[in-house]
Amino acid sequence: MTDSTRILDAYESETPARDAAGDEPRAAGGGGGPSAREPLVVAGLYVASILGALVVSAILVVVATDGSARDVFTALLDGSLRSPGAWGLTLTTAAPLLLVACGSIVSTRAGLINIGQEGQVLIGSCFAAYVAVRLGTPGWSVVVLSLLAGAVGGGAWAGVAAGLRRWRRVPEVLTTLLLTFISFPLITYGLSQSWLLADRNTERRNQLNTGEQLPSDALLPDLRVFGNDIDTGFFIALGLTLALAWMIARTVLGVRIGMLGLNPRAAQRFGVSSERLTTWALIGAGATAGAAGGVLLTGGAAGDRLVFGFAGNFGWDGLLIALLARNRLLVAIPMAFVFAMLRTGSSFLAATGVNRTMTDVVQALLVLALLVPPAILFVRDRRRSLRAAAEDGV
Amino acid sequence: MNEQAPAAVSVRGLTKTYGATVACDRVDLDLRRGEIHGVLGENGAGKSTLMKVLIGLVQPDAGVIEIRGRAERIHEPSRADELGIGMVHQHFSLVDELRVWENVVLGDKRRLDRTAARELVGSIGERYGLRVDADARVGDLTAGLRQRVEIIKCLRRDPDIVIFDEPTSVLTPQESEQLFDVLRVAVEREGKAVALVSHKLGEVRRATDVVSILRRGKLVESGATADFDARSLARAMVGRDVSLRGEASALGAVEEAEAVAHHAPLGGEHAPPDSVATEVVHALAVRNLVVERRGHRVLDHVDLTVAPGEIVGVAGVEGNGQVELADVLASLVEVDDGSVEVDGVAVPTGVAGAMGRAGVGQIPEDRHDAGCVLDMSVAENLVLSEFGVGQGLRRVDRSAMRARATELIDRYEIHCSGPDAPFRSLSGGNQQRVVLARELSADPTVLIAAQPTRGLDVGAIEFMEGQLADAAASGIGVLLISSELEELLHLSHRIVVMHAGRIVGEMDHADADIERIGLLMAGVDVDASPVAEGVGAGAGDAS
Repeated sequence: MTDSTRILDAYESETPARDAAGDEPRAAGGGGGPSAREPLVVAGLYVASILGALVVSAILVVVATDGSARDVFTALLDGSLRSPGAWGLTLTTAAPLLLVACGSIVSTRAGLINIGQEGQVLIGSCFAAYVAVRLGTPGWSVVVLSLLAGAVGGGAWAGVAAGLRRWRRVPEVLTTLLLTFISFPLITYGLSQSWLLADRNTERRNQLNTGEQLPSDALLPDLRVFGNDIDTGFFIALGLTLALAWMIARTVLGVRIGMLGLNPRAAQRFGVSSERLTTWALIGAGATAGAAGGVLLTGGAAGDRLVFGFAGNFGWDGLLIALLARNRLLVAIPMAFVFAMLRTGSSFLAATGVNRTMTDVVQALLVLALLVPPAILFVRDRRRSLRAAAEDGV
Repeated sequence: MNEQAPAAVSVRGLTKTYGATVACDRVDLDLRRGEIHGVLGENGAGKSTLMKVLIGLVQPDAGVIEIRGRAERIHEPSRADELGIGMVHQHFSLVDELRVWENVVLGDKRRLDRTAARELVGSIGERYGLRVDADARVGDLTAGLRQRVEIIKCLRRDPDIVIFDEPTSVLTPQESEQLFDVLRVAVEREGKAVALVSHKLGEVRRATDVVSILRRGKLVESGATADFDARSLARAMVGRDVSLRGEASALGAVEEAEAVAHHAPLGGEHAPPDSVATEVVHALAVRNLVVERRGHRVLDHVDLTVAPGEIVGVAGVEGNGQVELADVLASLVEVDDGSVEVDGVAVPTGVAGAMGRAGVGQIPEDRHDAGCVLDMSVAENLVLSEFGVGQGLRRVDRSAMRARATELIDRYEIHCSGPDAPFRSLSGGNQQRVVLARELSADPTVLIAAQPTRGLDVGAIEFMEGQLADAAASGIGVLLISSELEELLHLSHRIVVMHAGRIVGEMDHADADIERIGLLMAGVDVDASPVAEGVGAGAGDAS
């Protein structure tokens, strides 16, 4: 098999039969008309593998935790959707996830591998917190400036990686990740210094390593719909994602980003400068992650103040959403919602006696389940095209 | 060359057609143990098809194949493997990041045994004189050594019949010599039957015992190599006397040569611009170009001009700076010294899209490298250069793009399901047409064509060559970079020869002769030391 694969690869571009026949070689393979049923096949695969993940989760709940699978499922749904105000909270939680994901998707499409979202979220939230707590500008300008500061912070943090990439040719996959680990002690230091972020309110007993409580006018307003409070941050995230989706699909800039990601040398030849565009794509991805940090802080999804461990894996999860959405912005929206459901739902698990870390396992299984269908389709398509290539000679 | 020995492979009446094209027409071929059998022919003569039949990649329409006297159907490559037929492919299929021994055992289903694999590399190297460091990383090796790895990969299965497909196209003359020694060992000491597929006269004469010559799918002649001289081989391969081409045009008798030739020298269809006057603005002027890579000078003070309407051929063994020259002219590489002028205007190098905007079109050697974006549609690939200019936040006008694509698809006869078809789904020849359509429709001042016909079948080659000649006739300066001497002689008004990053020779179409070009390609200083008889491919010993 492998031998013939190799041989076929070597000849793939040279088989004259395709020229003579003049039709699409890949679509021809496999026999029958696969294209009409294709969406059904794909949907079926996803449904089957997600069901599989849920069944495995249920078995794990029963076997490993002695809990009731139905109780867990009910609790997750109650926590994320059914209890009063739940879906508003879920949407609020989805906002920072979606923000992180949309920036990641754009930078990945430009051919970058940014895996430092967690650090970018963290630095963004530090910048946002400083502006919100220390500058004290009047009225609604506080929250606007705070969010912008978050974007600037995250962008600057990614900018370090972008600069190293542009001028020193250091791969951003390394720098973005390592910068994340630098951001952890940095925030600890900031939280220990009262001139930076530490709580100056000496009346609190344990003010060490916690930030100051945000003033109320530094919080993003909520929109009340059917008894649910939806944070403005969600609409920011949704709007930005839709705008970016339009940019990618409809504008010349979007095509340029696609060219860079798909074939950087062709992009260079046809006048798309890799240096400038990738630099800005990376900074932009950092900025949305930083803004996510700002939304996290001012939206109240993670408490009312900056503390150590504040970013709470929002950066990593956002990256995961981008990967699972396979870099399609519109797919990232429901994906972010599902991840947010698992987060909000897990708070109701305590009542069932099952440890809330169970949701991490469920989440991981769901992630795996979403990766299975693309893998199956990839293997199938490859087999098909090989067979088609072999039959071409006949 | 024992005539009584049973043929290891005996092919009778093999026929294979692709649509209207007859790739192989009742071809007979006998490969015997202990013999190196040259299969000679031009591009598209049917050599590859014939060999693909033998290794089970292509099923013939008619004909009989006997392996060691038994009729066989080689329905798939694994069957060829079982029958002891191995092939060393023209294009390497090695993983650069892996070591030599890892590459050799790649694809094995057994457990990986490092010691055994390294010993295997060593013992095959010993037996055939294919010495190569088993622990070297393949990416660090020269083309010659990589080919050794490829050969070891093939020989480790100990095939009785080994087919070498154009093995010297990436080798220096010295490496080619070493390869021929290996072939000699394989037939004489190991008793294998070897087929050497080639379009190069010199190497067939130098390395083979028996030769079969294919032309347009037909076996035109066959016999002991010693019975042929360069002239008769060339005549059989091309269908007329090769050196006639130079003489004929020198004597102004191009039409006569065309009358006997089945393919006319396209360069002769329109008169090359009469002695380009110095005041004429060059379509392309490359001056004193220097490019260094890892301390190595890959382009060394290259000077080159192309006049409007002129086709300048760049000959040379691959890897002597042609790729870098093309890359500079595609804005992919910044030069260390020198300048490029298009239509008399200096163009900065290494600036994204600058060459394209200045009017340089390019059909790249590897169209998948910088010639297209595989995962975009045909329509998008037809207008790639338009995406590089202007405001980024304007809308892409899809309907205009589609309309334009439809027109180009029609004009250049691109076979695809429509403008929205994924570029990836097109066949090689049609992908090449998309590239050609885009570059020509941009109305370039100068067109760089690097190995434009590589891997294409007969019809596609003719189409491509016709397009290049037409482009020149319409006033575009064409720089044709090719390792196919035939193609260069066919099309060019003027030929320059590159060796080791330098331009070592230049001649008009009228004065071009294969021997001199061949020697220049090999780095022999022709003007300094007049050539000894018989060193070259040697049409000299024919008369």
